[in-house]
Amino acid sequence: MAGSTVPNRRAVHLPLGRADYGWTLDLQRTLHARRKAGAAPDVVITVEHNPVITLGRSGSREHLLASPGELKREGIEVLEVERGGDVTYHGPGQLVVYPIVDLRGHGRDVRRFVRGLEEATIATLADLGIEAGRREGYPGVWVSDRKIAAIGVYVSGWVTRHGLALNVAVNPVHFAMIRPCGLSVEAVSICDLLGRTVDLDRVRDALLERLAERFGWVMEATSLDEVLGGASG
Amino acid sequence: MERNAFDVRLPDLGEVDEVRVVQWLQGIGSTVTEGEDLLEVETEKTTFVVPAPASGRLVEIAAVEGAAIQRGAVLGRIDRSE
Repeated sequence: MAGSTVPNRRAVHLPLGRADYGWTLDLQRTLHARRKAGAAPDVVITVEHNPVITLGRSGSREHLLASPGELKREGIEVLEVERGGDVTYHGPGQLVVYPIVDLRGHGRDVRRFVRGLEEATIATLADLGIEAGRREGYPGVWVSDRKIAAIGVYVSGWVTRHGLALNVAVNPVHFAMIRPCGLSVEAVSICDLLGRTVDLDRVRDALLERLAERFGWVMEATSLDEVLGGASG
Repeated sequence: MERNAFDVRLPDLGEVDEVRVVQWLQGIGSTVTEGEDLLEVETEKTTFVVPAPASGRLVEIAAVEGAAIQRGAVLGRIDRSE
């Protein structure tokens, strides 16, 4: 029963626009360490990555369906990363959200946190007229048997990093290059479902509102300089 | 020795009953500091790092990589006598 909480916790939103996966991961680690030390509030990073395929701990290159030549031609980087899970694609047209959140302020409940991310995404999609849901045992958000948002979270010192990736208008050719998470499931974007273009920033703002509702945040925008430089956090 | 042995247990993660051990970040014989990252466990695409519950030497690994473990299970043991 994740009803709305009274907003009472300060959180900051850090919009990065377009950024490389590796650079953003370093930034996540920096902010994660600051959050752990109590030197920063909960931070929600939003970003659109340049094309990249990441292999999680249990990732297999067999789930990469494209040849090195094809990947190079499309300008897609392949990286092995620390998170759990298998193969994931990130690229333009995908809204990526990395909440750096201290779960000690959110009931120390890992499952509830992941469900909060899923429910906020489902509510955002419902406002767009898309009926999406969860699938027991398969984290992420689904529209019937197609995956519209991927979720993968890393928690250390009760502080989270990584997060969710919602497909707004992703190049279907790039999606066809992997078997997402090693499953034989198809990925789908909001634009494909609606048959029209949708502004990614609008989806982002709507999702942030839903996240704030779920996690009881009073959210304000911040900049890279502010979040890294401010001694008071 | 026994008196100074300290159990490493799976913390209460909320509504999570079972996790799988992904990997130990410290080996047997390593000196660890309370709060330091000790091992990674995974449940449904969430990786959780279990911190060392005490400072000392890691003397036993009870839950090996790939093992499914329940809430409150003993994962290993830390000797605090040094």
